[in-house]
Amino acid sequence: MLSITESVGETLSTRSLALETSDIQATVLRPRPKPYCGEYVVLRIGDAEQGREMLRRILPHVAPADEWWVPSLPGWLGIAFTFEGLKALGVPQTSLDSFPIEFRQGMAARAAILHDLGANAPANWEYPFGTPDVHVALSIYAQNNQNLQQVLDLARKSHHDLGQISVVYRMQFGELPEGRNPFGFKDGLHNPHVEGSGPAESGKEESIKPGEFVMGYPDERGETADAPIPAELRNNGTFVAIRKFHMDVAAFRRYLRAQASSREEEELIAAKMVGRWRSGAPLVLAPDRDDPALGTDGNRNNDFSYADDMKGLKCPFSAHIRRVNPRDALKNDIVAVNLHHFLRRGTNYGPPLPEGVLEDDGVERGGVFLLIGVYLHRQFEFIQSQWVTDGNFIGHGTEQDPLIGNNDGEGVFTIPRAPVRRRLQGLPRFVSVRGGEYCFMPGLRALRWIAALNS
Amino acid sequence: MTTKTLTRPQADVTEKKIQKLRELYADAPELGRVALENLIDSMKGGIISEQGTSSAGRVGARRGKVSELTIVFPVAKGGAKRLRAVLDAGINVDAPDRVGSVHDMRYVFLDNDTRILFATTYDGEWDPYVDDFATHIADELDVVFCNCEGWPGVRSPAVKDYIAKYQLTANSWYVARPDLTVRDVRRLEKIGAAAEEFLDKIQ
Repeated sequence: MLSITESVGETLSTRSLALETSDIQATVLRPRPKPYCGEYVVLRIGDAEQGREMLRRILPHVAPADEWWVPSLPGWLGIAFTFEGLKALGVPQTSLDSFPIEFRQGMAARAAILHDLGANAPANWEYPFGTPDVHVALSIYAQNNQNLQQVLDLARKSHHDLGQISVVYRMQFGELPEGRNPFGFKDGLHNPHVEGSGPAESGKEESIKPGEFVMGYPDERGETADAPIPAELRNNGTFVAIRKFHMDVAAFRRYLRAQASSREEEELIAAKMVGRWRSGAPLVLAPDRDDPALGTDGNRNNDFSYADDMKGLKCPFSAHIRRVNPRDALKNDIVAVNLHHFLRRGTNYGPPLPEGVLEDDGVERGGVFLLIGVYLHRQFEFIQSQWVTDGNFIGHGTEQDPLIGNNDGEGVFTIPRAPVRRRLQGLPRFVSVRGGEYCFMPGLRALRWIAALNS
Repeated sequence: MTTKTLTRPQADVTEKKIQKLRELYADAPELGRVALENLIDSMKGGIISEQGTSSAGRVGARRGKVSELTIVFPVAKGGAKRLRAVLDAGINVDAPDRVGSVHDMRYVFLDNDTRILFATTYDGEWDPYVDDFATHIADELDVVFCNCEGWPGVRSPAVKDYIAKYQLTANSWYVARPDLTVRDVRRLEKIGAAAEEFLDKIQ
């Protein structure tokens, strides 16, 4: 494998730069294990030297992307820091100042841009999200609870005798039956393929330049990120937008029931909202009814484009997957879709709502998503503000994503049909934001660089 | 116009604005003073308000879905001739149409061709789309704005700061339909044409 220093002379050549996977965190490049369970832990650092001591202890356990299939650990540990966290660790002011504005401000301060208004406003988030108490975010994935407890124990030992390091948040997550999300759809089906990260899944989509997702490599604009400084902190790092969502499964079921006259029609409307049937089969390939064999076939369930569905008769323009990943659907517009991707690591929490139940049981359930990319403003923030919470880009006025949009009971959802389109009215908020943070997820050498800082 | 009852603070603000106008117009030409008094008489109900203007990004005003961008760039040495020729040739004339969010656009030479006014009305924000423009219409933009002193190129990370440096916020700005984007208008045109065709058929 080529390291960065060995390949400096080749950056101008056309061959792609091999990714230094031994220095990139596994969370960035690798899908979580299946089945999985895990925990998110948030730490607050009250003292810089104790913070760095914690970091020195935990460092050997952070999973690199080259060991994901034969992990030397019983589970994966990922680690990331908010801007407040980097400050608390004593990162020099010149470095802090070099971070992009959106990261320095933090997700809560960007609420107006992200349309995190009304019930989704930061004032309604769970503690500690959106407060200055979030410093370090740990994500731990394991294949079973026993392994998870082992890694949690390692994490605990990194700070248990350090009085100025406090655990301010913990939440467990785990897989739902059949790998579905709480709404009952097959989960985690698509991610862009990062050039140089390993073999691509089959499909019509081109690979995306690694510099979109990891710093130190050329991006889709042919540039290499030059912030934050110094390069020792930056290289092989990236940003993560964390979003914790509550999913109102009962409201989703009630809405479908109210709009449809049969169970088949309920399923069709649900598929139109998502862009896929519950099995994962995409509407473009299975427009009329679910095709479970297609849904579970990883070679086929992403092998499609919107080229022969430019009127949205199969998959509505407003469908969730067509909004967040338009593929070739916007090819006639001045929008460079390759500048607007993120890698998505999703996990579910809470028990499933039993089949057929239409009333909310008051139990918290939903998903936590890590949305990963080097350019928060033109990746996560662009997708959220232009594609998820607006409809102008598809000529739909202010219509939002039917599933994850910030609808408030007055949402609409347009389903193109011939001869007359169908428009659903009165969409409630099926998904609410419970919290979120912008984090910096450094490479492994950069973690050691931070750990070795002096106050 | 519907008459609405003003709250006390609003009424105070209106009264103060009227008082200030009268003071400033005390030495205005007679016809101006008369015009002002005539208008103040018809203003009962307090119309001197902000009329829903908000900020569009760092500089510029926004009404509803529509924003204004007004820039006065310094023209580079020798740039005026090139600018006139390139604007006259219309080689980038379809770019705003392709962008799909531009309502209007104008260029006006000022101060003996040493500065140029660029003014446009557009939907939403341009800031999130700068990188898309740099990818799709870099030539169309650079061929014009390279004639402005110090233009870094639309692909440059410095371009946002350059624009903000010369951008001015309009002091007053009127939008007939602040809730209609260019895409909304196109859609309504299609719906209108279809509706007329339908009515023609059933009459």
